[in-house]
Amino acid sequence: MGVTEAQIIDRLLAFIADEGASDDAFNAMALELFAYQFENNQPYRRFCQQRERTVRTVRDWRDIPAVPISAFKELTLSCCAPEDAARVFMTSGTTRDGVRGKSFHPTLDVYDASMIANFRQRVMPDRERIRMGILFPGEDVMPNSSLAHYLALALREFGTDDSHYLVDEDGLDTMRVVVELAHAEQTGEPYALLGASYSFVQLMDALKGMDEVGFLPPGSRIMDTGGFKGQSRDMALDDFYRQLSSTFGVERRHCINMYGMTELSTQFYDSGNEVCPSVKSGPHWIRTRVVNPLTNEELPRGEKGVLAHCDLAHFNVVSTILTEDAGVATEDGFLLLGRADGAAAQGCSMAVEEFLKAAGG
Amino acid sequence: MTGVTEYAGYLPGLSADDVEWRTLEFERGNRRLEVAVPVLSVDQLDELAARVREASRAYLKTLTVSRIIEIIDTAVARLLDRDDPYRRKAEELLPLVTGYDREMVRLGLTEYLKTFRRAELAKFVAEDFANPAMLDDFQPVPKGGFAKAIGPDLLIHIWAGNVPGLPLWSLISGLLVKAGAIGKVPSAEPLFAGWFAALLAEIDPRLADCLAVVWWQGGDEARESAVLQQADLVLAYGGNDSLASIRARTPITTRCLAYGHKISFGLVSRDALDTGKAWGVAHRAAYDVIRYDQQGCYSPHAFFVERGGKVSPREFSKYVANELACFERKFPRRTLSIEEAGGVAAWRHDEEMKASSASGRDIMGDAAGTWSTVYTEEVEDLAPSGLNRTIKIIGVDDLSDTIPHIAPYKAYLQTVGVAASPETLFRLSEKLAAAGVTRICALGNMTAPEAGWHHDGRFNLLDLVTLTEIEQSAERAADAFARYAD
Repeated sequence: MGVTEAQIIDRLLAFIADEGASDDAFNAMALELFAYQFENNQPYRRFCQQRERTVRTVRDWRDIPAVPISAFKELTLSCCAPEDAARVFMTSGTTRDGVRGKSFHPTLDVYDASMIANFRQRVMPDRERIRMGILFPGEDVMPNSSLAHYLALALREFGTDDSHYLVDEDGLDTMRVVVELAHAEQTGEPYALLGASYSFVQLMDALKGMDEVGFLPPGSRIMDTGGFKGQSRDMALDDFYRQLSSTFGVERRHCINMYGMTELSTQFYDSGNEVCPSVKSGPHWIRTRVVNPLTNEELPRGEKGVLAHCDLAHFNVVSTILTEDAGVATEDGFLLLGRADGAAAQGCSMAVEEFLKAAGG
Repeated sequence: MTGVTEYAGYLPGLSADDVEWRTLEFERGNRRLEVAVPVLSVDQLDELAARVREASRAYLKTLTVSRIIEIIDTAVARLLDRDDPYRRKAEELLPLVTGYDREMVRLGLTEYLKTFRRAELAKFVAEDFANPAMLDDFQPVPKGGFAKAIGPDLLIHIWAGNVPGLPLWSLISGLLVKAGAIGKVPSAEPLFAGWFAALLAEIDPRLADCLAVVWWQGGDEARESAVLQQADLVLAYGGNDSLASIRARTPITTRCLAYGHKISFGLVSRDALDTGKAWGVAHRAAYDVIRYDQQGCYSPHAFFVERGGKVSPREFSKYVANELACFERKFPRRTLSIEEAGGVAAWRHDEEMKASSASGRDIMGDAAGTWSTVYTEEVEDLAPSGLNRTIKIIGVDDLSDTIPHIAPYKAYLQTVGVAASPETLFRLSEKLAAAGVTRICALGNMTAPEAGWHHDGRFNLLDLVTLTEIEQSAERAADAFARYAD
């Protein structure tokens, strides 16, 4: 009999709090978590066994079998009984067959600890709280959205009392945004705009028709996440950050992009977007490898591959996932280079994504 | 051969110095090629359109169809000659640009170009015109009166994809109806169309201004709209999203013929599955899969295989796997971009998940991921494979059971490769035609349509022309005004 859920949670909370954790400590924690997941998550155990990996053969976190994110749709990946989950986060279901991938959380304690420690370091290193505007629906509206929970947490932990949601049932509340921007400009109080990338595009489009929009004062920041796909017009990243900066008066180095996934409990950030694509990195409890998706072999630094993440905070599901995101490893993180899901076929033959879209699936 | 630059496009009336060039880089292993593609200003595109239109009226329209066939035949003969400089360049550079195996490109080019020799072109014209002379003169027509078929002065081709030489189809179709043309090449294979245009101009210098080959970044609104505004007719290839935007930018008075992405598949009847024949069938099926790594609209995504023969569908899937492994040694798959590799991986992961939760499914493939087969015992809907040598083999009790599984995708069906007895072939063809399939061929021939085929079931030439008819009333009325009238 291995460790209990309560024990693994305690160990992880301690690990997250230990900023000086060594590579060896990461490896040891990752292997302990793998053993826990191998024992308690039956579909994952079978997945590992099909790949001839067991607790005995896996001696390095890099050997932990990475679960392709598509498996989150097919398999019920959970160490606890799924019905005992306090929260279930689901993918948006905008891709492929419309089936939504699920992540079960028996408690959000680890998720929250991960988010708070990381957010403090990457988005709020200079102050305790800031007045916030959230360009995304609240948790009550989207209880299965990990992003809704993330933003609610940001507001609760780091927002001042007069922070607001700027999206209501009817969508983006542009007038409210204008009032907030004007207030910030008048008072000089730093302001943080946080939300989905596509909401920023919609907001900028809506503000175009208006003549006087307030500039945010020094110390303000912007954080976007999630990309544009299907939700707004597509924009080149460089154009997006140029326009963000010129619309709101926030320098590009204070326009931060967060890269997160429903299939993780930890986020990645860049240090602003003066240069696109920016280097993304995460805290000490998550590691990323760039691999060949067909062989799972790690690629040399500088070579383009697919990102595989090992997130110790995602304790109840699986720590290690294979994404469909393309990227390149750099010295201090990785560059995110779009999707690698074969959606753009080279020839005149149909690709899966286009077919599903065309066939109305 | 690092640092070699090849210039793409064909721009009559413009010197290289007048034009802005952008470099596309192609890298395969240790070989690198830079292709400079022309980025014309909107004004330059307008001038080019005017020049082509004028030359098309002044010269191309005065040629007879048989003379045009002669010129194309001369060009094609040169491209079939392995010592010709253009052919040498094609054999040298196209594998580098597209990534396909050299030998596959060489064989593919020859096989493809052979379908454009004089005799084939004559058949091609005869397929669409009972009396090809109506492209040259007014000809009597059965209902009475006379008619002449007029090709557009300015035909715009927007090509897509990386299958070597594919633009030749529409380029030659346009020429046969005497259409001046501007073609836009795709970034994935920007070279062949420009070479062909230059070669034609070498053969008949007076054709020099009748064609142009340009490039712009796909979706470039300003350039695309500028060119589409000038068009008499548009022929566009690509995915539905890009076709929708091309159509939206084409004036309502201009016809836009859109060829979208398609899906094709194969049918193997129990007649073809005796122990002596099944290997050959599997070989041909695998050949259709490896040719251009399934990038063609005619490439198969699945084979439906009938039970009841000596060789079971499951055994047949193993034969196909074996053949794919052999082909990988002979014609290795091209190196995939990470996006494409991700597509293959995503498809395989999906299939692995299905296999782990259902019985009657097998997955085979090599460790490097250069090919994969999936076998499924239970019939399922046709769906795209992961491309690049990934194929699904679906067991069925009776081949007609497949019809409900393809019918929902009517608008996207194209080729079906069939291995069956004559009776089965014709019985199935009725049903396939009703389901929307437009081309039925032998397994092993899926990627090589015969000369004069009707692409997506349409009339390649007839669709390009308008008829001008002289009705009998005009003829009769004219008689009254004849000098010799009483």
